Amino acid sequence: MTASAIALVGNPNVGKSVLFHRLTGAYVNVSNYPGTTVEVARASARFDAAVDLIDTPGVLTLPARSDDERATMHALLHEPLRAVIQVGDAKNLRRTLTLTALLAELGVPAVLALNMHDEASARGVTVDAQALSNALGIPVVPTVATGGEGIAQLTRALTDARALQPLLHYDTDTEAAITDLANRITRHAPHPRLNARGLAILYLGQDSEVEAWLAEAAGDQITGMASARAAAQTKGVMPAALAHERGEAAGTLTARVTARTAQASPLLAHRIGQLIIHRFWAWPILLGVLFVVYEFVGVFGAGTLVGLMENDLFGKILNPAVTTFVRANIGVPWIADLLVGEYGLWTMGMTYALALILPIVTTFFIIFGLLEDSGYFARLSVLANRLFKLIGLNGRAVLPMVLGLGCVTMATLTTRILHSPRERLITIFLMALAIPCSAQLGVVLGLLGGISFTATLIWVVSMVGVLMLAGFLAAKLIPGRRIPLVTEMPPIRLPLFGNVAKKTVGRIKWYLIEVIPLFLLGTLIMFLLNQFGALPAIIRAGEPLVSGWLGLPPEASAAFVMGFLRRDFGATGLFALSHQLSPIQAVVGMVTITLFVPCIASVMMIVKEQGWKIAAAMIAFIVPFAFLIGGLLNHLLRAVWA
Amino acid sequence: MSTHDHNARVPLAFLLPGARAQVNALGDEIDATQREQILAYGLAPGRPVTVLQQHPMTLVMVDEVELALESSVARHVWVTRR
Ligand SMILES: Nc1nc2c(ncn2[C@@H]2O[C@H](COP(=O)(O)OP(=O)(O)OP(=O)(O)O)[C@@H](O)[C@H]2O)c(=O)[nH]1
Ligand SMILES: [Mg+2]
Repeated sequence: MTASAIALVGNPNVGKSVLFHRLTGAYVNVSNYPGTTVEVARASARFDAAVDLIDTPGVLTLPARSDDERATMHALLHEPLRAVIQVGDAKNLRRTLTLTALLAELGVPAVLALNMHDEASARGVTVDAQALSNALGIPVVPTVATGGEGIAQLTRALTDARALQPLLHYDTDTEAAITDLANRITRHAPHPRLNARGLAILYLGQDSEVEAWLAEAAGDQITGMASARAAAQTKGVMPAALAHERGEAAGTLTARVTARTAQASPLLAHRIGQLIIHRFWAWPILLGVLFVVYEFVGVFGAGTLVGLMENDLFGKILNPAVTTFVRANIGVPWIADLLVGEYGLWTMGMTYALALILPIVTTFFIIFGLLEDSGYFARLSVLANRLFKLIGLNGRAVLPMVLGLGCVTMATLTTRILHSPRERLITIFLMALAIPCSAQLGVVLGLLGGISFTATLIWVVSMVGVLMLAGFLAAKLIPGRRIPLVTEMPPIRLPLFGNVAKKTVGRIKWYLIEVIPLFLLGTLIMFLLNQFGALPAIIRAGEPLVSGWLGLPPEASAAFVMGFLRRDFGATGLFALSHQLSPIQAVVGMVTITLFVPCIASVMMIVKEQGWKIAAAMIAFIVPFAFLIGGLLNHLLRAVWA
Repeated sequence: MSTHDHNARVPLAFLLPGARAQVNALGDEIDATQREQILAYGLAPGRPVTVLQQHPMTLVMVDEVELALESSVARHVWVTRR
């Protein structure tokens, strides 16, 4: 760890990660919704390689209330910070300064980057940066992070970073409580960088990271602090009251330095934003979006592109050439089989990964990135809220679930934006059960789309049905209350080509690096099982379940064995059998394997975020449940859809 | 708060789209954490709000931010019409 670091801190969705990219050259995901960054990222600064720049999750408020905000507070407490760059949204200064008011109490040297200047001007909002700088006692630099404006000035201003002027005094009772606690902290748990007063305010505000830090540093003395806080609370010194006072102070300063010119008509972006969640228009728009996604990914990606890659490139040119070459040059038959046989690393593993799934996930990532950056995803929380009420959640949980369609592993981390452990648990469970990731979605679309639209539709309806059913039960079983939805809608923005391209390339890289080795490993296991004659045994062992209950050909047992490695790989195994599958078998197989265990990486993530006990319990439920649902669907479909 | 003229306070959820109002108070029914969150979003006593729509959810504009509130919350946000 370097001796000095600078953290980018600010409200959600204000452009911290874009600035991080500008200042370090390292790209972390940038999207147009609050909660893109949910863990700390670091890279050395362009202007000084000895300085680590730290990108943090956005905080709506400090004291931290959700796990992503806790990660930011954790960084403030534990990183060797030389300074903080607060990134603020110029058109939303009040919220920016509410956070500034808290940073001021912590006494870290700071600079304020007043970002999104372009959007502020478009809305007729101008901020007097000089006046603000005078009031705060720190450099204030207007920036447009996406356009690179103000970056040089910001870098230069860093040398002038200094402690902020306090923005407010709290009321008498609160001040008394703060002073008392601050004295105790100074005596028993002084922080190397942060002011005792700021820590006292956060402790009064019940910030769990600060509580943990103080408990560690103060030892037994924490009990004295706890009773001092309890005494203060009986006098009405409550977290919300402190937050209110900071908001008021921020409002006063905002009014002093901001000028607004009335807008003649609402911006186009506003009107589109409202239409998307309009009580009537929302639904045709949603159908339209789904249609475009289906056309682009399902028809163009899974149909046209896969056809070109699989039949023409791999089927007619590459695979025959590779096979001939290998057979001619490798004398050992089993090695040749390993490469180009039925379960060959090239003919099965690489062909699936590159010819079948890559085109589908690529088209998916492109449209996914566009939707992320437009601001559409965040608005789905409003549309889905009523449905999510049934499963004990609110619309906020839509975001991780939709992101799960990209990568369930990353989305499991995104559940940090949810406000209660209960919401997190339910959402993580439902994602592990019923949300297919992009790679798997690719296989499903490739197989079912080739059969019929009806088959795809049955799969979709089954997955949504299972999601709702399992969610409904989970909400009943897991104690706790549902939290009603209150959320902000990010502005509708025109996606930037560069950003969508960077994200897409990053995700394709992820696919190539993380998924392909697993495909090869899976192929190798299949090869070995086959080589040592274990496959027939597995097929026989799985027969009652796979053929009897699910109604699939016995060879499908092998697909489920592969599914333990990755769901999408198991799905690919079914794909390999597709010529033997009836439409019903294809749907049943895909539903079962989609519900089946999530990939190893996402299981590890669940262990990391929730502990191994919960992860084990989830798997123990999910595996039999997947077969239960698959079998029921099999019998139902045979009765009605023959 | 017992005045009965048209300045009397009403729940935010009852205003029609287009209405402008000023936040008066957040009811006690809203729990402490959510209250903090609402304040942080800028829906604080004394602040002006404009109602954009009421279905499927209350959508308001505060400063330059669009906020969506479930009606179970918007019913307990008290405002006076402007
Ligand atoms: N118009 C405009 N858009 C910007 C500017 N800076 C960032 N954006 C956009 O704002 C959105 C959010 O940017 P991010 O960098 O992901 O924001 P963040 O603060 O890291 O967000 P979280 O990680 O969610 O807290 C993206 O769509 C950016 O393209 C700016 O100066 N002007
Ligand atoms: Mg970010």
